[in-house]
Amino acid sequence: MLCGIRRLSSMDRTLTVLHVNLYHPTLGPAAFTSVPQQLQHDTSPLLVGRGHGAHLQLQLPQLSRCHLSLEPYLEKGNTVMAFCLKVLSRKSCVWVNGLPLRYLEQVPLGASNKISFSNIQMVVRIEGGTSLEAFTCLFHLSPSPLIYRPRAEETDEWESIFQEEPPVALGESIPGLLGFSHGPSQTCTAVSCQALEEEQK
Amino acid sequence: MSSFEDADTEETVTCLQMTVYHPSHLQRGIFQSIKFYKREKLPSIEVVNFGRNSSICRYTFLDKQVSRVQFSLQSFKQFNSSVLSFEIKNMSKKTSLIVDNQELGYLNKIDLPYKCMVKFGEYQLLLEKEDGESVESFETQFILSPRPLLQENNWPAQKPTPEDGSCSSYFTHVTSPTEMDENEL
Repeated sequence: MLCGIRRLSSMDRTLTVLHVNLYHPTLGPAAFTSVPQQLQHDTSPLLVGRGHGAHLQLQLPQLSRCHLSLEPYLEKGNTVMAFCLKVLSRKSCVWVNGLPLRYLEQVPLGASNKISFSNIQMVVRIEGGTSLEAFTCLFHLSPSPLIYRPRAEETDEWESIFQEEPPVALGESIPGLLGFSHGPSQTCTAVSCQALEEEQK
Repeated sequence: MSSFEDADTEETVTCLQMTVYHPSHLQRGIFQSIKFYKREKLPSIEVVNFGRNSSICRYTFLDKQVSRVQFSLQSFKQFNSSVLSFEIKNMSKKTSLIVDNQELGYLNKIDLPYKCMVKFGEYQLLLEKEDGESVESFETQFILSPRPLLQENNWPAQKPTPEDGSCSSYFTHVTSPTEMDENEL
């Protein structure tokens, strides 16, 4: 089945596949009832949002009509598709691998990416293919959180960091705080993206 | 008058000015679908396609040698910048896109400097950005150049090259396409 999805019969080239895992902390899989199992798309940017014009339409009121885009392109000298995520929402922030992006800001995606926006957690893994005509997305709904963040107030190690370093300015993201566990001594809990955004404001 | 005084302050808008040239534009009507000199406001999230297919492209060249989508322009914001930036992407599998001295293949893209020369086939486009405050939208304006935009092609197509190899005053006095005037010879 996967071979059938990935191959273009006319060109006999493999499509680049975006493996997209989705999670919503309160609605669960019910948040993604309109998400297909598989979505093939051409070389134009793939629009994600609430509106009818979105290629991946998510029926969530906190989402903008056009929330973000995933744009395929080629790095000079490369033959495998790369992807650039751009924020199209004027109101919301999109976190990509710990980096907060605002309206019209964009960042190239790596092989594996932790993305959160409007209470949605999305992990995108890119599996390169040879075709430059199109790419395909395979969606998987996760029953459990995909992105973890340590709770600072529960760890002694966190308190010692504050004693040694100058205070962090409001709104400044702390490296490694979002999306990655730091070690066996810290307690990691999943938090909603909404709460994360509010704490960062 | 009170509505003018009480209205919200308007933001200035970024303008992308595009001066275009093609040696056969008069004979073939390549640019007839483009409204020259008129400023057009576009939303910042739009991907602006240029090419032959009018159903996909915002701006169309009536030329069978142009790809259905030849290239695209997109606006974005660089980190820690308050103004719009632009990037250009080659959407043609057949033709390279030359941006200043950089050659872009299919799906390659590059940030546009404030002023740059873009070439594909016999097309020459001079792109110039004028910054504005608004990030919601930007404007485009097309200007038609009757003469080539490049220094090395700086002679009219109908003027023959002298066979004796001598440099006439016509060539030695030419400094830029905008300053050249046949009547001054």
